[in-house]
Amino acid sequence: MTRLAQPPGRLPGQGSVKTAQQALSSLTARRGGLPPAGIGLPCAVPGRRPKGWARVVRCQLSSPQRPLQASAVLRRVSDEQKKEPLASSSQQQFDSHPTDPQPEQEPQGPRPSYTGQGGQESEDYESEEQLQHRILTAALEFVPEHGWTAEAIAEGAKTLGLSVAAAGMFHSDGSELILHFVSQCNTKLSELLEQEQKLVQLGEAEKKPTDQFLRDAVEARLRMLIPYIEKWPQALSILLLPHNIPSSLNLLTSMIDDIWHYAGDQSTDFNWYTRRAVLTGIYNTTELVMMQDSSPDFEDTWRFLENRVADAMNMGDTANQVQSTGEALVQGLMGAAVTVIMVESLPIFSISQPLSAYAKRILR
Amino acid sequence: VYQVFESVAKKYDIMNDSMTLGIHRVWKDILMHKMNPSPGTLLLDVAGGTGDIAFRFINYVRSVRERQLQQKLKHHQNLSWQEISESYQEDKFKSLGDSQVVVCDINKEMLKVGKQKAQHLGYSEGLSWVLGNAEELPFDDDKFDVYTIAFGIRNVTRIDLALQEAYRVLKPGGRFLCLEFSHVSNPLLSRLYDIYSFQVIPVLGEVIAGDWKSYQYLVESIRRFPPQEELKAMIEDAGFLKVDYQNLNLGIVAIHSGFKL
Repeated sequence: MTRLAQPPGRLPGQGSVKTAQQALSSLTARRGGLPPAGIGLPCAVPGRRPKGWARVVRCQLSSPQRPLQASAVLRRVSDEQKKEPLASSSQQQFDSHPTDPQPEQEPQGPRPSYTGQGGQESEDYESEEQLQHRILTAALEFVPEHGWTAEAIAEGAKTLGLSVAAAGMFHSDGSELILHFVSQCNTKLSELLEQEQKLVQLGEAEKKPTDQFLRDAVEARLRMLIPYIEKWPQALSILLLPHNIPSSLNLLTSMIDDIWHYAGDQSTDFNWYTRRAVLTGIYNTTELVMMQDSSPDFEDTWRFLENRVADAMNMGDTANQVQSTGEALVQGLMGAAVTVIMVESLPIFSISQPLSAYAKRILR
Repeated sequence: VYQVFESVAKKYDIMNDSMTLGIHRVWKDILMHKMNPSPGTLLLDVAGGTGDIAFRFINYVRSVRERQLQQKLKHHQNLSWQEISESYQEDKFKSLGDSQVVVCDINKEMLKVGKQKAQHLGYSEGLSWVLGNAEELPFDDDKFDVYTIAFGIRNVTRIDLALQEAYRVLKPGGRFLCLEFSHVSNPLLSRLYDIYSFQVIPVLGEVIAGDWKSYQYLVESIRRFPPQEELKAMIEDAGFLKVDYQNLNLGIVAIHSGFKL
């Protein structure tokens, strides 16, 4: 579903720049989530310009997470409805994806056929990753009690009928649980924004102005934290551990990307970066404010958010204003300088005569 | 195999310490940390005659349980008197929290030494000692949360049978952990290790335990044991998933772990 466009009969190693451009533009059109290749590619290795296909691979450092996330959406949706064999087969594709650090094993026993076996799935046939996701989802309800720890995961495994030792599959500091939760929230947010967009397209709702849209999106996302708010500072600190930073940063940037995409951002210049940086700043600061907010229903936090978004909007205007003010100022100064010189020069002319006479008298 | 361990039982611990220069304690501690058991876990320790793993397990679970109870008490400080009195009636504040270890060994002498050690060190609750063969465990299916075998699996004649038995007695979601001497890939260390094994260890065996032959057998059995990847494949064949291994000391010892999912 997210395989990059490959013209038939061409090996990946021979990809030309044209293919790369096609692939990039197709991805950009799909999600608006990548800067166009025209800008100095920030993710390319400095000093080296790998050719064609390798360049595409290099530039999509963040995209492997998206296919994985997209497949996660598919998996979750299908998990809820019924255990879809189709999801498992696409799951199997991504099982061999290099982003997964641990070696994936096939389930023991006769090879399950993933095409066509309607409602006959039993637990043996789901892949390990699916089972891991189920355990983590079940563990989330124990988080308010045990925190984001291996204990919560163990309790979650118990509810699924597995032994508590199954928590040994995960890292002992609970980071997988947090990452799972964050990606789940991001997925929910995307679905929410997509639904809203559909309503607007169908004409059933009004298109919101940008600042209102951003405010609502960030508020919706932060509200998902409310059930876990007491243990969330612990989660934030775990997400900042060095071995977690790549994944947590990935999730954060893709969420911000999503929000801007649904906000209708079509920018193709440096604005792309500033917008994302600004929104990331707003989101992070609002999250921190929320941690220590004790007002009813977090009113203070939403007011803070409102002010920050307004600031950001004004900042854009101010930047323009400053520029034009600067120009006006410079012109004014120039004019003033010319006038002053002209005015000053008159007295100087009038002074110069007696001054030179005086000078002569002294020097005599 | 039986006779080797009969003669070795009494001096087992001393020999372990002298052969490995005491590092075996660290290895077993690392195994315990990897297991990270929570209170309420049922452990089966196979070929764990003198009880090293079992005692470490009990210590670990006790400390985790203490921490849990402390957390509960802290939480209690916010409750009303009514709720606190109710909780006192419910909770028995068990120090082990229902965790149990079953130590199983093929050799009666090893079990005897283990029981004596337990009494001597003061471990009374949560321990059971069972005589049994790893290839044919006297337990029902789906009983245990964790199955460990520390330095025992190379003495089993048919490793695949032992692995199948392990799979059988584990609950779904249960974990298989195996701590064993393994293959050193680093050539320099491998040479040193060989020299140490073949020259020093049998001599130590003769001096301390008065038994050259058993320790020569020991060293040879280490060499004959399949290396990490092969053992991993065998564990997968028995039906375990997410099989992984961790080398300690560059491969002198390896911990293999698998899950019954």
